[in-house]
Amino acid sequence: MRRLLALLVLVAACGSGSQADPTTAELPEIDLAGFQRVLADLDRPAVVNVWASWCLPCRAEAPLLRQAHAEFGDEIAFIGIDYDDSQRGARLFLDEFDLPFIHYFDHDGVTIAEYGGIGVPRTYFFATGGELINTHNGAIDEQTLALQIDELLNR
Amino acid sequence: MEFTLLWAALTAFAFAFVTLWLTKPPVPDRPFDRIVGAAVAGIAVGRVAAVLMQGTNPLTSPGELLIIRGGVDTVWGSLAGAAALMWPLRREPAALDAVAPAVLAALAGWHGGCLWRSTCLGAISDLPWAWPLPGSDIARHPVEIYAAVLLLAGAWAIKWIKGSAGTAAAMAVFCAGLARLVTEPLRPSLGPGLSWFYALATVAGLVAAGLVALRSRRLAGKAAANPYPPG
Repeated sequence: MRRLLALLVLVAACGSGSQADPTTAELPEIDLAGFQRVLADLDRPAVVNVWASWCLPCRAEAPLLRQAHAEFGDEIAFIGIDYDDSQRGARLFLDEFDLPFIHYFDHDGVTIAEYGGIGVPRTYFFATGGELINTHNGAIDEQTLALQIDELLNR
Repeated sequence: MEFTLLWAALTAFAFAFVTLWLTKPPVPDRPFDRIVGAAVAGIAVGRVAAVLMQGTNPLTSPGELLIIRGGVDTVWGSLAGAAALMWPLRREPAALDAVAPAVLAALAGWHGGCLWRSTCLGAISDLPWAWPLPGSDIARHPVEIYAAVLLLAGAWAIKWIKGSAGTAAAMAVFCAGLARLVTEPLRPSLGPGLSWFYALATVAGLVAAGLVALRSRRLAGKAAANPYPPG
């Protein structure tokens, strides 16, 4: 029991450091019309990931999205939508995970309400022009993400 | 969505259980417990490895260890699972042989669990049995079903191997590596994939089988040279 307590204290101590001010710029806010305009203006398919800084599965899939962007960023647009979050939390999240694509702030989820799906994270796959092809609810794994990207590229 | 993973895992355990029940291996004791224990060890180590490789400190973010869907590192997970199964039975190669078909069947069940998760499909194909993603007209190879069939064939084949103790276990490693190696090119992935690891496992299985045969021949030679050992 003492060992367990010591371990818990150690874990708590490791996690209680004060966080520096975020270096990522404030995320632009977006509404449904603005989001639809962004999609319509794209000349390529899009992967839209809905995330929040408080969401543990979002942290787990963030490195995967970074990898996918590095590999397919020239052929597919990657867009992040930060939902039900604070600007500070979102910026700290982006500082930590370095997701080098555009992210929008949608606190009330007006954009994702239009496209459906359940929970956070979720990932939408849009064809060129903005047609929704598929929605993945929950943390996405590498094979599913690669498959959906392949589907977008071969339509 | 995590429930689909649970169903896939249950399918894997069911395949292992049925195989053990059908083949009734004489050794070792509690074979199903050993397989389940190895699977849990593999998942745990693989998840910790995945979190570390993603640049996250599991001490500061312990909750992330529970997000299994976030990824389990295949290399470390496989090695840990194999070690957890093999180490306690290292002096009982015949026991390893006995559980080897069930382990391959469990892997087949895991791959077949793609049907619960809707993750069976891989590269584009025009073969008659290929099928498309929902809402799509692009047919694809059911690559995980291929892997499951290959693993089941391997499980069936090694059951009939008549070799020295340890041969079936070594051939199971060979089959597991080969099933993934030949299906890997059909499996979508980000980056270079893990073909190198599956090639290594395939070769390791063959080498292990060769070593078992050599050791067996040496022991047979010794026994022939000295048919009446003292004691």
